[in-house]
Amino acid sequence: MSVSPAVLRRLMRELNELQTSPPEGIRVATSEDNMLDVTGIVEGPEGTPYAGGYFRVKFMFTEEFPAAPPKCRMITKIFHPNVSSAGEICVNTLKKDWKSSYGIGHILVTVKCLLIHPNPESALDEEAGMLLLENYDSYCDRARLITSVHATPRVRPAEFDKPAASASPAPTASTSKSASSKSLSASAAPGGTTENSAPATYPLHASTPNTCTLTPSNSSEKPIGKERLTSPAPLGTANSNVSGTTAAVPAAATTTRAVKRAATGGGAGAEKRKKALKRL
Amino acid sequence: MSSAMDVDEQAIDEGLYSRQLYVLGHEAMKRMAASNVLIVGVKGLGVEIAKNIVLAGVKSVTIYDPEPMEVQDLSSQFFLRHEDIGKPRAEAAVVRLSELNAYVPVRNLGGQPGMEITVDSIKGFQVVVLCGASLQKQLEINDWTHENGVHFIAAETRGLFGSVFNDFGPKFTCVDPTGEQPLTGMIVSVDRDKEGLVTCLDETRHGLEDGDFVTFSEVQGMAQLNGCEPRKITVKGPYTFAIGDTSNLGEYKSGGIFTQVKMPKIVQFKSLRASLKEPEFFITDYAKFDRPAALHAGFQALSEFKAQEQRLPRPRNAEDAAKVLALAKTLDADIDEKVVTELAYQATGDLTPLAAVIGGFVAQEVLKACSAKFSPMVQHLYFDSLESLPSTLPTEADCQPVGSRYDGQIAVFGRQFQDKIANFREFLVGSGAIGCEMLKNWSMMGLASGPQGIIHVTDLDTIEKSNLNRQFLFRAKDLGKFKAEVAAAAVAEMNPDLKGKISSKQEPVGPDTENVYDSDFFASIDGVTNALDNVKARQYMDQRCVFFLKPLLESGTLGTKGNTQVVVPHLTESYSSSQDPPEKETPSCTVKNFPNAINHTIEWSRTEFDNLFVKPAQAVNAYLSEPNYLENNLKYSGQQREQIEQLVSYLVTNKPLTFEECIIWARLQFEERYNNAIRQLLFSLPKDAVTSTGQPFWSGPKRAPDPLTFDSNDPTHLQFIIAAANLHAYNYGLRGETDPGVFKKIADSVLVPEFQPRSGVKIQVNENEPVGQGGGGADGGDANELLKKLPSPSSLVGYRLNPVEFEKDDDTNHHIDFITAASNLRAMNYNIKPADRHTTKQIAGKIIPAIATTTSLITGLVCLELYKLIDHKSEREDYKNGFVNLALPFFGFSEPIAPAKQKYGNTEWTLWDRFTFNDDPTLQHIVGWFKKEHNLEITMVSQGVSMLWSSFIGKKKSEERLPMKFSKLVELISKKPILPHTKHLIVEVMVCDEEGEDVEVPFLVVNL
Repeated sequence: MSVSPAVLRRLMRELNELQTSPPEGIRVATSEDNMLDVTGIVEGPEGTPYAGGYFRVKFMFTEEFPAAPPKCRMITKIFHPNVSSAGEICVNTLKKDWKSSYGIGHILVTVKCLLIHPNPESALDEEAGMLLLENYDSYCDRARLITSVHATPRVRPAEFDKPAASASPAPTASTSKSASSKSLSASAAPGGTTENSAPATYPLHASTPNTCTLTPSNSSEKPIGKERLTSPAPLGTANSNVSGTTAAVPAAATTTRAVKRAATGGGAGAEKRKKALKRL
Repeated sequence: MSSAMDVDEQAIDEGLYSRQLYVLGHEAMKRMAASNVLIVGVKGLGVEIAKNIVLAGVKSVTIYDPEPMEVQDLSSQFFLRHEDIGKPRAEAAVVRLSELNAYVPVRNLGGQPGMEITVDSIKGFQVVVLCGASLQKQLEINDWTHENGVHFIAAETRGLFGSVFNDFGPKFTCVDPTGEQPLTGMIVSVDRDKEGLVTCLDETRHGLEDGDFVTFSEVQGMAQLNGCEPRKITVKGPYTFAIGDTSNLGEYKSGGIFTQVKMPKIVQFKSLRASLKEPEFFITDYAKFDRPAALHAGFQALSEFKAQEQRLPRPRNAEDAAKVLALAKTLDADIDEKVVTELAYQATGDLTPLAAVIGGFVAQEVLKACSAKFSPMVQHLYFDSLESLPSTLPTEADCQPVGSRYDGQIAVFGRQFQDKIANFREFLVGSGAIGCEMLKNWSMMGLASGPQGIIHVTDLDTIEKSNLNRQFLFRAKDLGKFKAEVAAAAVAEMNPDLKGKISSKQEPVGPDTENVYDSDFFASIDGVTNALDNVKARQYMDQRCVFFLKPLLESGTLGTKGNTQVVVPHLTESYSSSQDPPEKETPSCTVKNFPNAINHTIEWSRTEFDNLFVKPAQAVNAYLSEPNYLENNLKYSGQQREQIEQLVSYLVTNKPLTFEECIIWARLQFEERYNNAIRQLLFSLPKDAVTSTGQPFWSGPKRAPDPLTFDSNDPTHLQFIIAAANLHAYNYGLRGETDPGVFKKIADSVLVPEFQPRSGVKIQVNENEPVGQGGGGADGGDANELLKKLPSPSSLVGYRLNPVEFEKDDDTNHHIDFITAASNLRAMNYNIKPADRHTTKQIAGKIIPAIATTTSLITGLVCLELYKLIDHKSEREDYKNGFVNLALPFFGFSEPIAPAKQKYGNTEWTLWDRFTFNDDPTLQHIVGWFKKEHNLEITMVSQGVSMLWSSFIGKKKSEERLPMKFSKLVELISKKPILPHTKHLIVEVMVCDEEGEDVEVPFLVVNL
């Protein structure tokens, strides 16, 4: 495709930014011979059944970019209500709510949020949607299994060797152009805290990777974010990071387990299972 | 086609009229097919109107012009030839007009030279158009038509001026004032009170305006609203509107859809006699607000002058102009003298771009009169493009006629300027609808007819039937030939001066043809005119024009809407500087599980088409022909199993040996899609499912589906089977079948396995046990087993499937049939109103509605800008971008926007600036140059899509790359050799200043 110099310039700028100061839990891989060959890697947020996994999102830019969103596909298998078996991701940001000021970073942050706040109401995988609605534990187990089988590498992807931007103060201040900063700080985080207001005084660790204020697909209608908060869904985890172990009771068990696994390096058990399953 | 002289009102040739039907609709076209149109006067304007109406398709077109043809007529009359001089114009033109559309008989009304049209001879016509008739004659004819229910239009062009008058009678009913789709949307509440406030779902703007009418469906509770008489609304906010008293209706519960109802509009026209005294002007350019009044008097004065002197004012003759001005002042003492004087100066001028603008417009007005579709123009239109005059005005002597075909243009611009036009060198990109009209205009203008002149035209397409409705240089005999070739030959025949002056090509413009359209090519042209149908090619040409600093004329149409843009190096922004917002896409979950509108089901079925008939066959062929296909594809995680399953299915388990097996396959596909999948969805999300807040899950935009039970007596069910079976057979090279009886018999006898819901719920039983292997195993465990079923490529040497190539315009290939049936079945699942084949075809085929009238007008506007480019006008305000919508109608013009200025250090720059480096320098040299000359630090360098260098690639790579010659560096990173014709590279850099702040700088040109 022919991409106009202006668009290439913009992409170059954003890739540069994502390389030098990536958002927490998000990295971007691209190849030197083709800047348009972009793959985002989203680290499964801790406290979710995706913890320990690394989820790759493939970008395809059309000539209408940035007026039209890039096409994005999850190329790592995942059990998630808003991701189809073919990897389509149902987020309004990638369709009707797209704005030309959004970029790669914004999309990846949105996907990360989707891992934290799955949205059964706009299910692409209706089975995952139903499980999430009816039997949260089963949903978590299933999601965790798929994560350990398909998304958990032996070693962390090299892209994550570089620290995230949030390690340094005021990560996005210099990048007023990147839209992600706008929406990230737009409203209070569901957990009652925000990235900005979570200084190192919190007990667990400095960053609170599960904060998320982007609303996932089809949920703009009603305050789903709030609604999900009241349910024993993974959102509780944001709180649990803050207050140690006193999160909503039903979620506590799964949460701590997930955290533990992530903390212990995440992969040993999965490795065995993987072999057993003769992964292709 | 040849035998279809008698139009059957019911049968519209959808193959021919396809694109136009999406503009006008079947109803309007049926009304047109009952209308007889008379056009009086067939010089350039008359023939342009006639051409557009014949293409559009009315019952008949009759022309009247017994006057002998003169050489000057060739300035704009593209259907007359030199050898016709002396023949009655109508007699000479009627043959070529007849060739345009076999469904529309074109007749010559006859008459004797010197004999004007009479009231007696216009009886029997529904629409009468007078072109260039005297005011006396206009009044005489209009007096009768106004009283007798005949629609009347008078039109005239004089040099760069045009005028139109409409009288469709005292009470004209317009059934669809805008042509826009009726608005519709979901609602969430209706107040039960005097005001009746309706609130729309979510944050979707209703888009209605005060005075619009709506009706409702699917409303729960206040059921009386369903199918109610249209209610007039008042807008209360972007998401709310009031429908008036609802207090005596039931209490609103939930749901509901509002739909706009188009109400007929009554338009009252005055007769010409009455309107001359109290004119109502239709404004074409708000920057020329007082000009209509001046021209209203000016055109009357011209007619009076002609009546007195038996001739028109001589070109740029002061004496004649003074007389016209004096006459005009008797009508209106305060008029703009300069404008009326110019009108008199140019009265003998006859320009094809003006004929195209006014002719396109008037033709649409004729269609409005016939069809009652769209709002007619009320009531006088005056248009001019005085800005197109050369900055140095021609002298009187320079404008005298010389007995050439260009006299009509010379009268306005002078001979010197005619020379410039003749020696201009332009590149026309595209030879479709806009391209054909453009070439016609250019040939009449004599563009490139001089010794230095040349027109390059390229189009990769060949001619198809649906083109013939508006790409008027093509005939049925040309089907399958290259567009550019046929068009070039056709216009060289129109004006033999262009013989050998048009170079036609088939190479499309793009990165792959830069050896054809190279630096030398661009150096040899003066400018580029785009006549394209896609954004990608437009952007590419824009880039090239920016790089080579060539002016670009850009235009496009969409139904009755059109726009033009002129791009001038350094003066204006470029095409890519602004972008139309593309259509918003539908979220994938809506398409996959929660459709609520027919376009959702059509999008779904278009994808199904690919998933069933295109992609699997391609995958099979790739597996059979590409070495290591599986290994290379398995690297991408997530989809291996599905891919292998598909290969096994298409190569082994579901490979049909007979057409009967294709029918069985289709029947099972039906079951899978319209029964099993829906039952599975309902199994996962039952109709009574609730969300975490206790709201019903299936509510609002989520419509609960119902499975379909196959019934071979239902035509849609059977259509699906017929189309799917035939397409499946096509994949395997099996002969198809169309007898419905065969399908019925076999489909009814298929044994369909009972539906078993899939469930993953059971996997987790024990908290401590890792989740059962059953669930995970299904995701990859038995893929090896599957692989064993797959025959090796070597066992199937030479065997290939036939992937279907989607072709929307072939009515016998089952493509649109399948998509229509598949979409409508899904619509039945979700209780959505189905769409007919025609509508489905437009949405699935992403067909852009198109009509010749708009194209004609738009290309006329483009050529008016071309005059300015030929004159090398250097002020931005000399140029105009245009926007029109013939349906409303609406004209708007704006000055092109200046290019955005940016700054590095104290240097301002725009998109037209660049840094140039010669002799293939090293990267080090460039980095050093920026440091030394501008004290700027380069942080990143890219060329095309290759990232050549950045400040964080590491010391080793950096030391390797900095001393490399630029061309070598590019070859290294892009992994591609630089082609021999490449003489320069365009390079983008990111730089920062001393403080480390990013600074925007122009692009770099590295000459090799």
